[in-house]
Amino acid sequence: MASVTFENVTKRFGDVVAVNDLSLHVEDGEFLVFVGPSGCGKTTTLRLLAGLEELTSGNIYIGDRLVNDIPPKDRDIAMVFQSYALYPHMSVYDNMAFGLRLRKVPKDEIDRRVREAARMLGIEQLLDRKPKQLSGGQRQRVAVGRAIVRNPKVFLFDEPLSNLDAKLRVQTRAELSKLHKRLGTTFIYVTHDQVEAMTMATRIVVMRDGVLQQVDTPQNLYERPGNIFVAGFIGSPSMNFFDATLVEADGKLYVDSSSFRLEIPPRLAEQYRKYKGREVIFGIRPEDIHAKPYVPPEISPAELRATVDVVELMGSEIFLYCLTADNKSFIARVDPRIRARSGDTVELVINMDHMHLFDPQTEKRLE
Amino acid sequence: MTRRLGIHLIAWAIGLIWLIPFVGIVMSSLRPQRELIHGWWNLSPFTLSLDNFIEAWNHPSAPLGQGIRNSLIVVIPATIVPLFIGAMAAYGFLRFRVPFSNTLFLIIVLLMSIPQQMVAVPLFRFMRDVGLLDTYTGLVLVHSAWALPWVILFLRNYLSTLPPEIEEAASLDGANRFQIFTRIVLPLSVPGLASAMALQLTWAWNDFFMALILLFDPDKLVATQRIPLLRGQYQVDWGVLTAASLLTMSVPILVFALLQRYYIRGLVGWTLK
Repeated sequence: MASVTFENVTKRFGDVVAVNDLSLHVEDGEFLVFVGPSGCGKTTTLRLLAGLEELTSGNIYIGDRLVNDIPPKDRDIAMVFQSYALYPHMSVYDNMAFGLRLRKVPKDEIDRRVREAARMLGIEQLLDRKPKQLSGGQRQRVAVGRAIVRNPKVFLFDEPLSNLDAKLRVQTRAELSKLHKRLGTTFIYVTHDQVEAMTMATRIVVMRDGVLQQVDTPQNLYERPGNIFVAGFIGSPSMNFFDATLVEADGKLYVDSSSFRLEIPPRLAEQYRKYKGREVIFGIRPEDIHAKPYVPPEISPAELRATVDVVELMGSEIFLYCLTADNKSFIARVDPRIRARSGDTVELVINMDHMHLFDPQTEKRLE
Repeated sequence: MTRRLGIHLIAWAIGLIWLIPFVGIVMSSLRPQRELIHGWWNLSPFTLSLDNFIEAWNHPSAPLGQGIRNSLIVVIPATIVPLFIGAMAAYGFLRFRVPFSNTLFLIIVLLMSIPQQMVAVPLFRFMRDVGLLDTYTGLVLVHSAWALPWVILFLRNYLSTLPPEIEEAASLDGANRFQIFTRIVLPLSVPGLASAMALQLTWAWNDFFMALILLFDPDKLVATQRIPLLRGQYQVDWGVLTAASLLTMSVPILVFALLQRYYIRGLVGWTLK
């Protein structure tokens, strides 16, 4: 068990900056998830921590130990690869025992640990098989098992669920969360899937183009995204953005766009009054837009009329792809009882308690 | 349908044409000399015997039995040495970042284009100077050196199909470079090594030129050198000659038969599926 610290970590591949001046402290026992689009530097960060890539500059500590020049084998970490990277010529048992044998752990101790891990993961009956005789889900478990038996200070996961089918992915997600609670070891996990990040992480790191965007709990990241990129990346479907101006009329503050004017609730108006007259980007999540007959109670409503472009029925809800009067498109996630069809005009109600404002120049959140 | 039939006929025809000389060799080797004077295709009289094989094996001036034994003495180390060194070099070229390694690799590959005739004289002088002329060691070293460029090229291509994550997983599991090489890379390279082994063994076994330059003690001659000596003094003894050829070629054929399971996989590359 150990904490992990990144100190001004930079990694360049030729002219490409894969990780740019990353500083981050991971507490002992945390389940930290790196998330971002492909090429954002999250996997490189993980590989730097594992020692599979060399730092260009900066420092990495595992616990109190500076590991910059320590080879992977001496870092006492275990990693689950996206492709699982099982040893194809060894049985499941030998795959899991390999690391322990190299560390000269006594034979009966190896046997005890391998069998215990296998029991924990439900792969006891597979111990004599070769990797190619296993299904994708079973391989994934063996890869996790190989990591567990070593009892490392830190577990690293590089998109371990991306080769599983959707159903198995959901199931494994829950199992990994359980495993983390049970072991209590630091987990560092990389994914491009924000749902995985939201469901498992104690904290999420959002990265883009090698630069850390925001680190926070899933809840805070969802409720108070620090910039437009994070706001758009976390949540599905993505947050809607509109160019707008903040205007004051009759003592009330409004978000004013060319095709709509929405009243900001008094509690937020106080906070935002200082931006009066400024151009802003107004953000609202699809789930905070409701169809008029089915508005939940106790929200600060603001009405908006729009034309329906496309309807996607999801069963428990409907995604309405709408157009404002000036042809700005946005998505609303509404009650399925509304029988809207393409071309209809719908009355929508926006929950302004959950509005977000961003600076158009810096793209940062306005508080 | 007629088109397919046509293709089949042509294929069979080519196959048969290729096969005829071989059939001739087999027929000649199994029949006494007096039946071959009017050609092996003359089928009467027809007597089968292994006398030619026995005579070639125990020939008074150039016994092939001794030649095959000598060939094995040369070929086995001349296969193991370049394969082992070549595998390590190939792995090094693939995984270690060393300055000018690409240039070095290019030079090694270019060495493959040198014809043997070009180095024959300098090689003879060099071997004489270092005292390895007319020794098995000298011939083994020459075969090994000659094989290294293509072995390195071949195995580097094979190893490049191994997924690097497996080695990375091993390094996180606590293995050092040498352990990764011996416990992960080599076992996964068995098909590639088997292919290279079959090719090198055949090449070294069939070699006549290098042996001709470097070995001349009558007791040390390898199998390929002995076949021409079996020709006979006053007339060509076809029976003994062809029996000796068959005995000599049986070794590489056996090797291919044993290794062919790996041979195709070795040429295709590695895959988990």
